[in-house]
Amino acid sequence: MKERFNLILSGVGGQGLITLGRLIGRACILAGRNVTIAEVHGMSQRGGSVVVHVRIGEGESPIIPSGAAHHIIAMEILEAGRTARYANKDTVMVVNDLILPPPLVKYPSREVVVESLRSKIGKFYLYNAEEVSKEITGSPISSNIALLGFSLSVNPLFEELIKKADIERAIEDMFKGKSAELNKEILHRSYEAGRSRLGG
Amino acid sequence: MHPVLARKGETVLLMGNEAIARGALEAGICLAAAYPGTPSTEIVETLAEVAQYTKTYVEWSVNEKVAFETAYAAAISGVRSLTAMKHVGLNVAADILMSSAYAGVKAGFVIISADDPGHHSSQNEQDNRWYGFISHIPVIEPSSAREAYFYVKEAFKLSERYGHPVILRSTTRISHTRQPILLEEDIPIEKACKGSFERVIERWVLVPGHARKLKSKLMEIWRKIQMETSEPFVKIINPGMKTVVIASGIAYSHVSEVLNLTGLDDKITVVKVNMPVPLPRKPIEEVLSTAEKVLVVEELDPIVEDQVKRISLEIGSTSKIFGKEYVPLNDELSVQAVYDAICKFLGSCSPQRWESIGDIKTDPPIPPRPPVLCPGCPHRSSYYILKTSLNRAGFRNVIYTGDIGCYTLGYQKPFETQMTSFEMGGAIGIGHGLSKVVDELVIAIVGDSTFYHAGIPGVVNLVFNKGRAIPVVLDNSVTAMTGHQPHPGSGYTATGEATAKILPEDVLKAVGFETYVINPLRVKESVATLQKALEEFKKGKNIAIVSRARCALEVMRDARRSRVVLPVYRVDPEKCTACQACVNLAACPALVVDPNTRKPVIVEDLCAGCGLCASICPYKAIQVSNTPSSEWEKLW
Repeated sequence: MKERFNLILSGVGGQGLITLGRLIGRACILAGRNVTIAEVHGMSQRGGSVVVHVRIGEGESPIIPSGAAHHIIAMEILEAGRTARYANKDTVMVVNDLILPPPLVKYPSREVVVESLRSKIGKFYLYNAEEVSKEITGSPISSNIALLGFSLSVNPLFEELIKKADIERAIEDMFKGKSAELNKEILHRSYEAGRSRLGG
Repeated sequence: MHPVLARKGETVLLMGNEAIARGALEAGICLAAAYPGTPSTEIVETLAEVAQYTKTYVEWSVNEKVAFETAYAAAISGVRSLTAMKHVGLNVAADILMSSAYAGVKAGFVIISADDPGHHSSQNEQDNRWYGFISHIPVIEPSSAREAYFYVKEAFKLSERYGHPVILRSTTRISHTRQPILLEEDIPIEKACKGSFERVIERWVLVPGHARKLKSKLMEIWRKIQMETSEPFVKIINPGMKTVVIASGIAYSHVSEVLNLTGLDDKITVVKVNMPVPLPRKPIEEVLSTAEKVLVVEELDPIVEDQVKRISLEIGSTSKIFGKEYVPLNDELSVQAVYDAICKFLGSCSPQRWESIGDIKTDPPIPPRPPVLCPGCPHRSSYYILKTSLNRAGFRNVIYTGDIGCYTLGYQKPFETQMTSFEMGGAIGIGHGLSKVVDELVIAIVGDSTFYHAGIPGVVNLVFNKGRAIPVVLDNSVTAMTGHQPHPGSGYTATGEATAKILPEDVLKAVGFETYVINPLRVKESVATLQKALEEFKKGKNIAIVSRARCALEVMRDARRSRVVLPVYRVDPEKCTACQACVNLAACPALVVDPNTRKPVIVEDLCAGCGLCASICPYKAIQVSNTPSSEWEKLW
């Protein structure tokens, strides 16, 4: 058994993390890859921290050890900070440019968290996924797909395992008609955004 | 089509709970009954979703005991059945569990206990493999989501071979993990759904005379299971080595990865255990006859370890057996934890295998994100109304007893209206007991589903034994926390059929309470009603309160589907004085304080339009900012 590709998805309950995990899982099946997807969340459906552990390759153990992530997708900035412990110096991290503070607490600013992550993670990308989702669908609901598209193009190790075409087919399997078309467009646009970020 | 209905030969992505549902359908079940509870819920939820295609009877029962009884009744009549519950749910059903082992079954019967090591959504992390010992029912423990699919079928086979109930123990990490699963068989079209009950009085009637005989038979079955079982319940990998690791359930998956990563897999014998209770005797004897040192890796209690030590003693083996010296007794296991344990056991591996960048330091630090009541949650308004009216009626230092559900989150600031939370329905019994021994007013808060589950006996007792606690039912008309399963107040069944609607106020009235029903969306009106109710309480009456509005998540979903526009509120920065009363009293996640002006801003995408913040604002600075549909309130 080779070491599996370890992908962490983190964010806030209600942002579509579980759906994103399922979509990647479906794409893995289409790409002929084995995968294990563990959903780690607490008791409330909304508003709590959610971490999904996606492990691509042979093996059954579901949880990624601290420091063992190859890639992290964070759908919110504070959650990105919280999942830093899964990162090592080679981890690629893609973070949605969005901060959702929990109620009634003091919290660090967007800049403080971003700078702290940028200083420790070599391949750190901040991406405004809500913007592209809102532009195409009118709502932030597809930000998860935008972050996936962006991630795929900035991490060759990830793209080696699943291709954009596998994700497109997974989108067709999981969404219907117009919604599938819009999500594919978001995937395409965010993938291109990642490409140009690499180029620049 | 639901992926659980896919054909043989297809590979589908299923979560452990869906995999269990599919396996049970392949095994030919025709009845399933459960009460929802994380992490078990999706098993019966999935079965309910596909019930009409698979011609299976599926129900959400009022509690686990009733669910168990319903499923067990089918199995004693020759119909294969399943019941599922979270670990603590099995405590509720423990009574019938014990008896079921005595009387046995006529068709396959599997009890799924979904345990929660790590307390992800439970009051404790009890290891339900112990139930196997006290009931003498074998416990099967899969090592992954994929194996859950396989072992539920093996559990049914085992159950039929011995005419005995079987427990399948899953854990959160198996129940909530998704894996591609290659379907081995189709769901049978023909299956036994009509039972026939044999009137064998000495089997089904557990009077002492009958039970004594049944216990002897039970002991025979127990012994046979111990002596006759081996593969697939125990598998010896790489036999004959002097160093042995025995791992049960999911611990095996972690062990396998660690040995692989450290390149030790051909130097160690691994015993993969999928039936920890009773531990199959022969394979363990075989391993102990040549082993020098043994490490038992298992999650939570030393169930396998103790049995291995006992077998070793009985056969006079000289193997040194380790377990909980190296493997934690609490919390979930992981590759990391098992790596550490194996390194200590072998006395050789580098401690830092995965080099983390560590936690990042910020000022202020990243705050924890404890679960909170959703934006628009009617419980938030109910708590505000309750506290305001109690305060106005002159009650000080009120004690609030609480219960299990979303509303348990009322323990947090600013509400602090759940001061206890032990088990389902506990609010009322604890409230009653406290009212007998303290001077302060006791308010016992229970959810609607919890009220049906175990609250009704409590309210009967409260009146009968003259307790002075006030029961409050927070009624959002659904079992919300576990994902919106119906209950007797919902008006529909698990499979969506219309049915009788049994309202909490009718039950409370029948029991002897003067019952007040409020709509928490109407804050002022509700406060006035409760003040009146509290005056009646002061005169010595038994009063009860039902606060009813639908779960905000359901309302928002229905609004989206039916294109009804809900109100969206906005803070007028001109009128807002940054007093932050709305934030401090409502604690709604949609209210975010602008760090520069200190004035709250409402996140439009999150606002559900409940209007609580607007009724709190002393400056009338919060107002509806859109044009809601005229009929929006009907959705609540």
